[in-house]
Amino acid sequence: MFLLLPFDNLVVNLLGISITVLFTLLLVFIIVPAIFGVSFGIRKVYMKTLLKIFQWATLRIERGAKEKNHPLYKPYVNGIIAKEPTSLEEEIKEIRRSGSGKALDTPEFELSDIFYFCRKGIETIMDDEVTKRFSAEELESWNLLSRTNYNFQYISLRLTVLWGLGVLIRYCFLLPLRIALAFTGISLLVTGTTVVGYLPNGRCKDFLSKHVHLMCYRICVRALTAIITYHDRENRPRNGGICVANHTSPIDVIILASDGYYAMVGQIHGGLMGVIQRAMVKACPHVWFERSEVKDRHLVARRLTEHVQDKSKLPILIFPEGTCINNTSVMMFKKGSFEIGATVYPVAIKYDPQFGDAFWNSSKYGMVTYLLRMMTSWAIVCSVWYLPPMTRQPEEDAVQFANRVKSAIARQGGLVDLLWDGGLKREKVKDAFKEEQQKLYSKMIVGSHEDRSRS
Amino acid sequence: QGPLGSAPVTSLLSLAVTSEQIEHLHRRFKQLSQDQLTIRKENFDSIPDLEFNPIRGKIVHAFFDKRNLRQESDGLADEINFEDFLTIMSYFRPIEMNMDEEQLDRFRKEKLKFLFHMYDSDHDGKITLQEYRNVVEELLSGNPHLEKESARSIADGAMMEAASICVGQMGPDQVYEGITFEDFLKMWQGIDIETKMHVRFLNVDTIAHCY
Repeated sequence: MFLLLPFDNLVVNLLGISITVLFTLLLVFIIVPAIFGVSFGIRKVYMKTLLKIFQWATLRIERGAKEKNHPLYKPYVNGIIAKEPTSLEEEIKEIRRSGSGKALDTPEFELSDIFYFCRKGIETIMDDEVTKRFSAEELESWNLLSRTNYNFQYISLRLTVLWGLGVLIRYCFLLPLRIALAFTGISLLVTGTTVVGYLPNGRCKDFLSKHVHLMCYRICVRALTAIITYHDRENRPRNGGICVANHTSPIDVIILASDGYYAMVGQIHGGLMGVIQRAMVKACPHVWFERSEVKDRHLVARRLTEHVQDKSKLPILIFPEGTCINNTSVMMFKKGSFEIGATVYPVAIKYDPQFGDAFWNSSKYGMVTYLLRMMTSWAIVCSVWYLPPMTRQPEEDAVQFANRVKSAIARQGGLVDLLWDGGLKREKVKDAFKEEQQKLYSKMIVGSHEDRSRS
Repeated sequence: QGPLGSAPVTSLLSLAVTSEQIEHLHRRFKQLSQDQLTIRKENFDSIPDLEFNPIRGKIVHAFFDKRNLRQESDGLADEINFEDFLTIMSYFRPIEMNMDEEQLDRFRKEKLKFLFHMYDSDHDGKITLQEYRNVVEELLSGNPHLEKESARSIADGAMMEAASICVGQMGPDQVYEGITFEDFLKMWQGIDIETKMHVRFLNVDTIAHCY
């Protein structure tokens, strides 16, 4: 027992020294740059190294599988059916033309019209557009995370070792580091904004508030090892505007807010989120709603309008899809934010799934599980495009305006522009949409029929 | 053990679907059946895209129609397994380059028979005026501005035309009972439906799959 004592001291000393060194490194390389908004470029180097390793791993898998004659296939992201991109009208005309050879200017009902709907029906039974969007995007190469949709199977010793090493690094080195950073970031945010809240309103307060927010978001960005590329920063949202973006995960907020100073909109939560929200609103006017107020659309619209009309107030950040989508498409935008009449600044966010899947499937994972998954991924790589501002034209209504903005975002981000309501994840199809196709078809038939009976 | 379990693989391979495509379809089947071995009508409710389709009911019905399932008996099945699912899907496979005349003809007849069964809802082998009207009404349903009368008159007009093709001139006392399958085939003579009634699979490449 006496022999242990000096050894004990040594261990304690070593521990103390290593912790100090770690924290100093943390401070110098991560926190100080975050405060000033500069970057050493460490993350970019990290990303390049990882890419090389992934390529090597994929080649190894290919080679290994060929040697063993495994049946292999690459999951095809866009579905298994070759869907022709023709519209209802074109197809029916085509079917009829190949059929009777009758004059096409008297379209009436024909037996062959049923083909189109029959085929479409079978296509959707084989492969459904909507449910595909809600599961995590499938990858084409393996990124050493066993959670990416494939079940890990022993291919070769080297690969297994590499994977094991990856697990070790991610869980034992990166995870504690990230948790420490996240903790620092959040506590600085809460204390910083509370302190700034005590200052009298004025330019000093605004300046400090802005920098406290930015600093803490930047620390959080580093806590997730998020490597973000911003494009077209000259289009960044200005005061009195609304910033809309597509929604993939709660991290979107951190990504956007670390590059700009926004007023957030949302529901007040309990727990840690609530504490953060209440602290933030002391320093600058965010728009938080009580749970009961969220249902009242007029109240929400009114408060947002008031905020927007005050030109000194910050641009509002809103995600009009209302729910998280898996970042391969953009779903229907809710029209509420587009009715207010302010300038809309669209932003497109696209994540690179190779390093870590950022999609939050809220029916599968809770928030804490999700954050842990994020913090044990390699990195989160994404691109943000700031699109030029848009305003509602006099001849379009809110829904058309919303769709226009949505198309712009989808086009820029390389996402598929879907008409579907993101809320479908949980609810069933609204009856109004059901009638869309049927109305179109019947317009074709009946319109002509009435013409004929009149003549 | 593959997805087909003990089902004889040869009979399914005659459907000329590749084994990869069978894998895809099997995964889809499992998704629809929620990992059970059979599908019931209710399982088709989980496909949001299908709600759009005006003849949704008839399409789902076609999956359970015993005539389509190549079973000897008649009527409706309560549930279908994966083999039945593949049987229905086989009605929609595209034409292959190496088919001869006889095969093409058989192919065509099968597809037309599938459509015929869709129209002939009471399984009596004839499409009556009422059944025709049902189909037209369903196709035009969902348009609240459309009166039932319009749909009806469209169906009547189309039926008369069908009668004239099949029977020629009818006397004033003659009653046209309904379109039989032979008449149905006659109506489609010279019309190239095989190219319209199929679903084409995309080419899936094969590389690594850590499975």
